[in-house]
Amino acid sequence: MNATFHTALHLLWTFSQLSVLGFGGGKGIIPQMHRDAVQTYHWVTSAQFTQFYTIGKLVPGPTTIFAALIGYAAMPKTPLLGAAVATVGMFVPSSAIMMGADMAWDRFANSPWRPILARGLAPAIVGLVWASVLTIARGAPAGVLPYAITGVVALLTLRTKLGAPVLIVLSGIVGIIALR
Amino acid sequence: MSASGAPVLAVRPSLWNVALVFATISSTSFGGGQKASIRQQVVKQGWMDADAFLEGLELAQVLPGPNILNLAIFCGQRVRGIPGAIAAFFGASLPPLAIVLIAGALYFKYSDNPFVRGGLRGCAVGALGLTVANALELSWDERGDWIRLLLLAITAVVVSLFKMPLLLVLVVFGGIGVLHEYLRARRQAAI
Repeated sequence: MNATFHTALHLLWTFSQLSVLGFGGGKGIIPQMHRDAVQTYHWVTSAQFTQFYTIGKLVPGPTTIFAALIGYAAMPKTPLLGAAVATVGMFVPSSAIMMGADMAWDRFANSPWRPILARGLAPAIVGLVWASVLTIARGAPAGVLPYAITGVVALLTLRTKLGAPVLIVLSGIVGIIALR
Repeated sequence: MSASGAPVLAVRPSLWNVALVFATISSTSFGGGQKASIRQQVVKQGWMDADAFLEGLELAQVLPGPNILNLAIFCGQRVRGIPGAIAAFFGASLPPLAIVLIAGALYFKYSDNPFVRGGLRGCAVGALGLTVANALELSWDERGDWIRLLLLAITAVVVSLFKMPLLLVLVVFGGIGVLHEYLRARRQAAI
C-alpha cells in the first residue's frame, strides 16, 4: 500500500467517525479532532489546527469545513485530493444519516425520544465545547493582549449584534498591529 | 400555499434550482443568519409550509452533522426526494469548500509573512473569544438544573485532562444526560 493511499484511508476513517459523532451541529468534536489530527497522525501542528479552525469560523458555511484544510496539509503532494477526502469523510456520513432519518420520518416524527435525546445530550455537548475552548487555546498565542482580545470578543458576542466575521477581522487587525 | 394551511407544494423546483438556492445561501450568509435565509427561501417560495420547516430544523439539530447542511438536505429531500437531497448537499457544501480552499492556499503561501502571521494570531484569539461566548451562552441555558450543570462540568474536565475518547464521552455522559431527561419527562407526565 503506498503512502498516499494510506493517508487518504486514515483521513477518510478519522473524519467519518467524527461525522457520525457530530451531535449538536458538530460543536463537540473539536477535542477529538485535535487528538487525531495533531497527536495521533501529526497531520498538522497545534498552531495550524487553531488557525484552520479560525478560517472555518471566518468563511461562510459550516465551521467543520476546516477538515478540508487538515486534509490539504496531510497530503502535501496531492493537497486537493487530501482536502476532498477529508471533506467527504466529514460531511457524507452525517448527511446520509439525515437522508435516512427523513425517509423513516413517520416513525421518527412523533417519537417521544426525539426531545429527550436532544435535551439529554446537551450537557455533554456543552462540556465538550468548554474542552474545545482549551483545545483551541493551545494553538493560540498566550499573554495579556491575546487574553484581552478573547475576553472582549466574547463580551461583544454576548452583548452586541456584531457577527463572527466582523469580530474575527477586527481581532486580526489588532493582531497585525500588535501580535507580529 | 393553500388558504386552509394544508401543506401544498406550489412549486416543484428543478434539481439545479435546489442546488443553486443552497449554494447561494451557503456562500453568502453566516451562522444563525443561514437558518433565516433557508426559511425565507423554502417557505416564501412555497416549497413547504412553516410547520414542515420547523420539523426539519428540529431534526437537523438532533442528528449529527452541521445544522445548515442537514437542513438543506431535509428541504431538498422534501421537494425532490433523494436526488433533491443530493443536489442540496452539493449546493450547500461545494461553495464553502471552494472558499475554504482558496483561504487555505493563501494561508500556505503567505503564513510566513510577519504581517499575515500577526493577523492570523489576532484572528485566532478572536475565534477563541467566539467559542468562549458560545460555551457561556450554552452553559447559561443549563442554569436551572444542577445535575445538568454538574454533568457539563465533569465532561469538560474529563475530556480536557484525561483525553476521554469522544465516543465514550457521548455514551457515558450523553447516556446519563438522556437518562436524567427521560426520568424528568416521566415525572412530569405523571403529575
